[in-house]
Amino acid sequence: MKHHDIMPAGQVGRSVPRLEGRQKVTGRAAYTHNLVLPGMLHAKVFRSTIPHGRILSIDTSAAAAVEGVHRVVTGEDLRAIVAEPYFGPAFHDQPALALDKVRHIGEPVAVVLAEDPYIAAEAARLIVATYEELDAVFDEVEAMTSSAIVHDVLKPAGTFPDLKHLVGKRDTNIALDYQLRRGDVDAAFASADHVYEHEFKSQQVMHTPLEPMVSLAAPDGDGLLIHTASQSPSFVRIEIARLLGWPENRVRVKVPYLGGGFGAKLYIKLEALVAILALMVKRPVKLSLTMEEQFFTITKHACTFRIKSAVSSEGRVTGRRCEVYWNGGAYADIGPRVTQKSGFTAPGPYDIENVSIDSYALYTNRPPAGALRGFGIPQLVWAYESHSDMIARDLGLDPVEFRRKNILREGRPHATGTLMHDAEIEGVLEKIAERMNWSAPFDRGEGHIKRGRGIAIAFKASISPTTSVAIVTIAADGCASLAISTVDMGQASDTAMAQILAEVLGLATEDIKVIHPDTDVTPYDMATLGSRSTFHMGHAVRLAGEHARRQLDELAVSLGYAPGAAYAPRDLFKKKYGMQAGNIVGVGSYIPDYTSPAPKTGLSDNITPFWMIGGTGVEIEIDTQTGAIKVLKLINAADLGLPLNPKIVETQLSGAALMQYGFTLFENMLFDEGQLTNGSLADYKIPGLNDIPPVIENHIVDARQTTGPFGAKGVGESATFGVSPAIANAIHDAVGVRLTELPLTPESIFNALRAAKSQAGKA
Amino acid sequence: MYDFQYLRPATVDEASRVLATQPDARPMSGGMSLLPATKQRLSHWSAIVDLGGVAGLDEIRMEHGALVIGARARHVSVLSSSVVRAAIPALAELAEGIGDPLVRNRGTIGGSVANADPAADYPAALLGLGATVVTNHREIAADDLFTGLFETALEAGEIITAVRFPVPKRAAYAKYRHPASRYAVVGAFVAETAEGVRVAVTGAASHVFRVPAFETALSKSLSQDALVGVTPAYGDLNADLFASSEYRAHVIGEMVRRAVQACLHPSTPSRNA
Repeated sequence: MKHHDIMPAGQVGRSVPRLEGRQKVTGRAAYTHNLVLPGMLHAKVFRSTIPHGRILSIDTSAAAAVEGVHRVVTGEDLRAIVAEPYFGPAFHDQPALALDKVRHIGEPVAVVLAEDPYIAAEAARLIVATYEELDAVFDEVEAMTSSAIVHDVLKPAGTFPDLKHLVGKRDTNIALDYQLRRGDVDAAFASADHVYEHEFKSQQVMHTPLEPMVSLAAPDGDGLLIHTASQSPSFVRIEIARLLGWPENRVRVKVPYLGGGFGAKLYIKLEALVAILALMVKRPVKLSLTMEEQFFTITKHACTFRIKSAVSSEGRVTGRRCEVYWNGGAYADIGPRVTQKSGFTAPGPYDIENVSIDSYALYTNRPPAGALRGFGIPQLVWAYESHSDMIARDLGLDPVEFRRKNILREGRPHATGTLMHDAEIEGVLEKIAERMNWSAPFDRGEGHIKRGRGIAIAFKASISPTTSVAIVTIAADGCASLAISTVDMGQASDTAMAQILAEVLGLATEDIKVIHPDTDVTPYDMATLGSRSTFHMGHAVRLAGEHARRQLDELAVSLGYAPGAAYAPRDLFKKKYGMQAGNIVGVGSYIPDYTSPAPKTGLSDNITPFWMIGGTGVEIEIDTQTGAIKVLKLINAADLGLPLNPKIVETQLSGAALMQYGFTLFENMLFDEGQLTNGSLADYKIPGLNDIPPVIENHIVDARQTTGPFGAKGVGESATFGVSPAIANAIHDAVGVRLTELPLTPESIFNALRAAKSQAGKA
Repeated sequence: MYDFQYLRPATVDEASRVLATQPDARPMSGGMSLLPATKQRLSHWSAIVDLGGVAGLDEIRMEHGALVIGARARHVSVLSSSVVRAAIPALAELAEGIGDPLVRNRGTIGGSVANADPAADYPAALLGLGATVVTNHREIAADDLFTGLFETALEAGEIITAVRFPVPKRAAYAKYRHPASRYAVVGAFVAETAEGVRVAVTGAASHVFRVPAFETALSKSLSQDALVGVTPAYGDLNADLFASSEYRAHVIGEMVRRAVQACLHPSTPSRNA
């Protein structure tokens, strides 16, 4: 590990222990789950048992008759408060409770409000709904042409210009068709020495935050106070205000620590329902999901990716066509953004002259899919880095060497036309090769234990353009408070932001108070997502700190200090106000430059404020008798600019990699005609301490984001990118079989081995 | 959880009387399966008869050359018993691999056997070793005890008081775990006894069963080579989200091979695959 530079004030670059660490390990940290308000009612959701159908009747009488039940509410009842209770960040397609139709099994249909959560649960079992069943569609490729139509008419929210052309469209499940065209891909195929075409599938999985989703709404004067485990308090306020037709300032959203988010708690989830219910019954209403209910609430997109490459005999990729189908489930959530924002990186971090991308967001009758750590990137990398290895092997080229020939280097244009800067693709590749000791001989195992190794590299653009605002308040004793709407969900943003402010103000990080999101107090932030906070909020905090500092300097001069002379802030306040009194308030607001992609070609000269680069190397062992796989070594490397806090960055890398490790080897939401069949942690395996590789290395590649705050950029997702294909590539290396569908289970490896054996027998 | 009566009798007779007269009453010995099932409303009993109040059923001892384990002996007692380790080390190792520490600290051998979970570990040991189950009424050979999915030959009011294991020459258990539940996808118990080699398999079908084809082959020669080319015909094997029946059939052979390997080389780790 390189020694990282610590900035002059000794704050940025220092491995400051998490500010909230002590609170958390001693059980004192506040979570929404623990919150109880006087007069609060508990809500329990009654859910659809069919994947697609018209609601004929909902009989709530037996549930309403249970002692302790306050009220039972259906979708139609909600219309008394909000006539059109549909919400969503990209499309206004999701009703707070089903209206007219249900579109997936597990969709909320009615809700019981009771004094006690167990009474609510008991009563919810007594609700009976009848439906006229409609044809359903579950597969993303079938959804392209299926006669089963999930939404009769498309309802884009109007927030995004590239969705406007979809307004009012009928008889389609395509919620967004994004395309990019660069060069002449057909000509590239026609003149290629080799053409490779493969299809890869990734499965639907769930975020599994340790703290399940929870929201609590309470009437508050003529407004509404919402306590919620959300990654996007500002968006919740805006969306609830829109639904109610209120000004933003009548909706107050408070968010404490989160027990994990990973994209599950983004935009708006339970908040619309509890907000309407609280106004309806004029009491606080809390809805706490169980772990199992989360499977029906938000998931990661299943995806089919067809990738075709033109390759010269020397191993240069000259053309690439990508067709990507995203299974968005019944409601769009942020899926159309995944389709576009991730879609344009589908060809991978490679220098390819001719590129064609078609990326489709599809509605199906599965639980909705949205953002999950990586925002679509891991699904793409799964395909293009498996494809890379398959090409290299076929050409007899070393996989590292093949990548060296093709990677995007400094100053070269990406598929969109944006020139690559501050993107250490080469640095990440070489770091992994070095740590894998790639050029040295490798022990391939013996007997029925076979060993192999594999690598993968990838990149991601930052979602753009987005805004962050920060407010710094200096008190008369010189101490500082930082009001931001960034949500600390375990990634240690409180610590990182305090470090930035402390560096600017010359204070100790530990002495900064970070005020948690409260939209009455903390200013706007787009959301805590996509590894954007360090860069965007980091800049806003820096600017706010500099603004405060400037005012202190001016105050000092006005009080007779020589310009540039040292002062203690507390002396300034004392001198100015005659006692310990007054404040200085610094404000910072940040939005990066950005050029929207051209509609038909998808081209842009400034597609992202920064690139995240990540790569993975693994060594594995396969037991050919059972197909059992052991990952012996997992090496993560990323370009995250200069680390603000090296220790926390390392845990971000290992955490991200292990999350994707679960999606690679274990996790898979299995469906039978739209019915989830393994929706409990007794069947749905997430990685535990016994499952993780014995050796994990996390490497911060020598880099600097020249446009970032103190040279930094985001890192929350970078180590997810390469895990799946690195492992599949290692399996191929070990036993010569290629898996193209996730997850990589022992049985799938075993079956592939058996198929290969019978193939060899025939030959 | 539904309402139910909780009873804690002090003697086997008292427990037996309640269970014989109340058809919807259920005995509990540890409750490691019964409590979760009740909480999840998978089962509903008018009364739960907790055998935890019955004293003296947890002894582990040698008797006429056989290992006798009281029905209330917890898994932790079996795995840490020097008597078990000396007589049938494979049984102690099997107990060590059951569930997690919480389950091992509360769960009992009698509870596990009477519950007859298709993926439980103990039934494989009982059948593989040719054990005898002692109840308050009679003695039942393991071969006659396990009759179906969560079904045994035990009658209403019949309570297991002990399990008697003949001591084998050699024995070993190999288990392929479900990644999430950690239950056996396949568990194979192989024992060389006075009457020949016995092979019992759990996790793979509705209840534990023996594999005569492997037993015949291994009785001729307890070696991995003896297994080559032996492909038993199985009845209905389980197929679930983790493993198809074809894959299970293959894994049975592999677990038997590993158990044989562990019989021959007791130091080889066989518990986890």
